[in-house]
Amino acid sequence: MNLSHFWILIASLFLGQLLLLLILAWRKQQSNKREAAINSQYDALTDSFSSYMMDPSDERFIEELKASPYQLVVLERLLNHYVSVTKAGADSPPVSRLSEEFLSTRYVRLLKRGNWAMRMNTLYFIEDFRMESLVPQLKEKLAKSSRLDQETQQLIRTLASLNETVAIEALAKHPDAPARLYIDVFKRLDELTKLDELNAALNEENDNQTLKHSAISYIGMAGMTLFLPRIEEELQHPEMEMRIQALKAILHLQYMNSPSALAPFFQSAAWPERMFAAQIAGKLQLSRYKETLGELLGDPVWWVRYSSAEALTQFSEGDIVLTHFAESHPDRYARDMANQWKTSLLGSEQ
Amino acid sequence: MQEVALILSYIVIAYMLFSSLSYLGLFALAYGKVKKENKLDKRESTEDFLRNQSTYPVSILVPAYNEEVGVVSTVRSLLALEYPEKEIIVIDDGSKDSTSLRMIEEFKMKKIPFAVRTHIETAEVEAIYQSSIFPYIRLIKKANGGKADALNAGVNLSSFPYFCAIDGDSILENDGLLKCMKPIIESDGQIIVTGGSVRIANGSTISRSKVEIVGLPKSPIVLMQIVEYFRAFLIGRLALSHLNILLIVSGAFGVFNKERVIQAGGYNKNTVGEDMELVVRLHRLLREEKSKQRIEYIPDPVCWTEAPESLEVLRSQRIRWQRGLLETLWNHRKMMLNPKYGSIGLFSMPYFLFVELLGAVFEFIGYFIIFGGFFFSLVDPQVAGVMFLVTVFYGSLISALAVLLEELTLHKYPKVSHLMRLYFWALTEAFWYRPLMVLWRVRGIIATFQKKAHWGDMKRKGIST
Repeated sequence: MNLSHFWILIASLFLGQLLLLLILAWRKQQSNKREAAINSQYDALTDSFSSYMMDPSDERFIEELKASPYQLVVLERLLNHYVSVTKAGADSPPVSRLSEEFLSTRYVRLLKRGNWAMRMNTLYFIEDFRMESLVPQLKEKLAKSSRLDQETQQLIRTLASLNETVAIEALAKHPDAPARLYIDVFKRLDELTKLDELNAALNEENDNQTLKHSAISYIGMAGMTLFLPRIEEELQHPEMEMRIQALKAILHLQYMNSPSALAPFFQSAAWPERMFAAQIAGKLQLSRYKETLGELLGDPVWWVRYSSAEALTQFSEGDIVLTHFAESHPDRYARDMANQWKTSLLGSEQ
Repeated sequence: MQEVALILSYIVIAYMLFSSLSYLGLFALAYGKVKKENKLDKRESTEDFLRNQSTYPVSILVPAYNEEVGVVSTVRSLLALEYPEKEIIVIDDGSKDSTSLRMIEEFKMKKIPFAVRTHIETAEVEAIYQSSIFPYIRLIKKANGGKADALNAGVNLSSFPYFCAIDGDSILENDGLLKCMKPIIESDGQIIVTGGSVRIANGSTISRSKVEIVGLPKSPIVLMQIVEYFRAFLIGRLALSHLNILLIVSGAFGVFNKERVIQAGGYNKNTVGEDMELVVRLHRLLREEKSKQRIEYIPDPVCWTEAPESLEVLRSQRIRWQRGLLETLWNHRKMMLNPKYGSIGLFSMPYFLFVELLGAVFEFIGYFIIFGGFFFSLVDPQVAGVMFLVTVFYGSLISALAVLLEELTLHKYPKVSHLMRLYFWALTEAFWYRPLMVLWRVRGIIATFQKKAHWGDMKRKGIST
């Protein structure tokens, strides 16, 4: 290869780049123009859209929308903004009506198209706009998917948002499905379906432990005190992970029918159990455990010491107890921890 | 002499062609992933996490040394971050200016006793302060021990299972942390580190600690650094991350699993490249444990940082980076070409040695031969000509391609004029900017054997307007 070959190579690479540059610049210009036009139509339609959402008999918006060259994109943005600001969707008939009328055909097409990002966006929007007419297409898509990849996960969430329990059945087919996905599904189901599914999940014994963990965890997060007796039963469960989930749920629920059930956990060999027991004793202000909390201040595990001191701050005379421990606890680390929390209490009072 | 020069010329030409092709190969690997996610509605994909109690809480660590100009705006931008549960810990590493004072005044901080767990030994912690307005903002005032030592002190004080390390002069986009944590949450902890893109803020309009308008700076030195960042982040890191062999997560912005970092021994105080060194050590730990956990680079979360505008500061920064790279490769030389470390030992380490580190030496020889060939008949002018063209290809055309690739995938700069300016400046790289970099990087290799660690000494103007 001699110099001229290199010249030709470099020159052709340069010309190739120059061509690509021109194409990209043209594309950028077009896309900027299009974006500006969409933004201007969005602004122009905002008023009539707001009127329509307040009074759907006002058809002015529909007429203006039909006249818009970018009607689908503009409508999608308007609806998306509306549901994210008002947190509506499920309860908004105008959102359902508009999305079903204008967007469903486009979404059916997009769900089948090759572009992954567009399919994902479509699944997000179907969920946000609660487009029930697309359930058959979504179920068909779910039946075809064998891997629990990002798209299938979102598909399951979207179906759950449309109150389809097939979402849980689909997850159960994947033994490695994470608890967070089950929780996402519970969150989206409507109240009655949710109660049935949580009941069924709590009755699971050995088949699907992840489902049961998730149900307990969700009950705590959602503050469903209705299930408290069932959760308290789980404190006796032979499996530690189940007991920890139950303790966590009780901490969130902030109530216990029988606080004495907590006693064995302060002596548990597993530090997370001691830690949650301390947190619950504080949150529920169970003064019978105050002395035990003082002992746990000297626990070998930092998190248990931290939680015990934090728990003591919850009691009305917490500052006095902590001052006492800060000065006279036999354990040096316990004194440090009590001192730290005592100061934070002073700070919060100021 | 001419014989030696000729052989050297062939070696350098072959090297440059090989490196250029490796860049193109790496980009081809990364292109699919960037293109795949390009049209994804980022807001939709993260909004669920905002209300989600399954997210892991994060401690944000801001090491600061003489950052009185930028530290408050950085903390303010962190306050605005959309994330369900976080704490912010600023570590003043013995600053000589009013870094601590600015924090104490602005956030009404009070000294508190704190039962710190010493996971990692650090220089003496003099005091810990807590904000009385935002109790989750804390300040550690400690004796000077370097950036790595400051980060270790932050790790000790942090309460949460993940920490985000961010430079004291940087601004993180509102949803940056959420986007960085998303893969960690979605992988159920299988991803232990995520690094986001770092972009240069000079030229953009930043107000109320938020990037309002993305723009380009006037200074060619800064423009060239923007092109360089494209080249490094888009061509290099994405592909290496795709193969789980990424060795660098920028010190300016990364999220780490705290337990893993403590297991690895924390940041190394004896190197100036503590960010890279930690990542290599984590890889080493994972490979030795035969763990399937991963380290990932995420192109979208953006952290904006102030780039040096003067040649003097840029020089010192590049010397430091090169030293950091060499020190890390030397400290972990056991991994080099060692099959026990899989693709890290067999591909990534040699890649960083031959392309990232020794590239400067090869290029230096290349410039020497071009000069010697054209003016002193060191080699046949025909060979010097080929060398010149290959240098232009390696230096300018690859960088110009990086600009085009950015536009093809992320297109963060909004105007057509931005694209044009970046492209044409990128073409000039081989003629002035690259020779300077090569010179400083070679100087960095020499400096490794001479100096001890210190913080970068950039004089900040502050990026918030």
